[in-house]
Amino acid sequence: MTHTADLHADIGEVLLSEEVIAAKVAELGRRIGADYAGRNLTLVSVLKGSLPFMADLMRQIALPLRIDLMEVSSYGGTSTESSGLVRIMKDLSASIADEDVLLVEDIIDTGLTLNYLMRYLRGKNPASLKICTLLDKPARRLVEIPVDYVGFEIPDQFVVGYGLDYGERYRNLRFVGVLRPEVYSTAD
Amino acid sequence: MSAAAPLRPSFAHASEAELARILDFYEVQWRYEPDTYPIGWNLDGDVVESFSPDFYLPDMELYVELTTLKQKLVRKKNRKLRRLRQLYPDIRIKLFYARDFRMLMLKFGRMALLDDMTGTTGQSTPPRPHDPAVSAPKAPVLTPTPALTTVAGETTVPDPVVGADAAGRPAADGEPDAPRDPMGVRRRRRGRRRRRVTADAAALPAGTLVAPVNDARPA
Repeated sequence: MTHTADLHADIGEVLLSEEVIAAKVAELGRRIGADYAGRNLTLVSVLKGSLPFMADLMRQIALPLRIDLMEVSSYGGTSTESSGLVRIMKDLSASIADEDVLLVEDIIDTGLTLNYLMRYLRGKNPASLKICTLLDKPARRLVEIPVDYVGFEIPDQFVVGYGLDYGERYRNLRFVGVLRPEVYSTAD
Repeated sequence: MSAAAPLRPSFAHASEAELARILDFYEVQWRYEPDTYPIGWNLDGDVVESFSPDFYLPDMELYVELTTLKQKLVRKKNRKLRRLRQLYPDIRIKLFYARDFRMLMLKFGRMALLDDMTGTTGQSTPPRPHDPAVSAPKAPVLTPTPALTTVAGETTVPDPVVGADAAGRPAADGEPDAPRDPMGVRRRRRGRRRRRVTADAAALPAGTLVAPVNDARPA
């Protein structure tokens, strides 16, 4: 990996500034708060990318909600993973049966991970199961899944920051930016 | 007698094998080239051009065609796709371009392998016996073409109906008008998998007319 020592130097363009993200998260929080008023809401976030979004979003929802975290392994092409043995690296810590569950995602592109998660969570018998994503990249969708709350539709570019990584780096950027192609085109 | 290895189609391209592994990983059902759709007929009603999408995802009712050729070489595939959509408006198909595949590899941290999986270098990968079993292919929709079959322990992929040139060679990608590109990419790919040509198609003269869309009738 050929990232530079300077965190910001690898970013070609700021796609969503910190202020723009904050405004959208507040708007989503208000909508979700209104939609789920009087219900037992549980936010389920998927580590690690959704962490900043989850942290900001939950504080914008004026409801006595619960949160939970999951971690799912990503495809890496190894024979172990292809065998289907590696999936849920961190499961929910409490039952979501009869809870109104909102799955909080950082980005949806192919929909493969989300499709898997939705099937998994449906098996836990929540009262309802909906999706909230900060970023949506519909151009790359392979599995069509209805998304209930979308922050931003973004173009088909590789983005990092605000939780999103490349090689586990750049998650700590306060904005969403487009990674300079030379960072990954010469990687490995 | 040893235990039979799991069935796995002989993918024409490494990128297809990789996509199959990704779909397996996320437990998305898929079938490899289960259906062939005629998209061109001559004046006698014979099929001279057809299209076999690479993957069918039954749960999504979606076909996926994967092409990792350079964008400028994708024009003909785009044309076939447009024609497919004209003739069969009810089917859903997504074309995965080289850029899409590249982004997928980037997402999964597989960029180092990208060069081996795209373009000409990714052609004709050997079977991967350690891969999990493939979903059983369904019966073809419109033509008696490539259902994966097992005969006496051997896995074969029957040949679809394709067009042919005057010498009886299968047309590149089933297209009578498809030029042989300098690298022989399509000819090599399709020639390997679709060697047999139906008698009718083989007998077609060069430059066979393709019926216009309005006159076209699926078989």
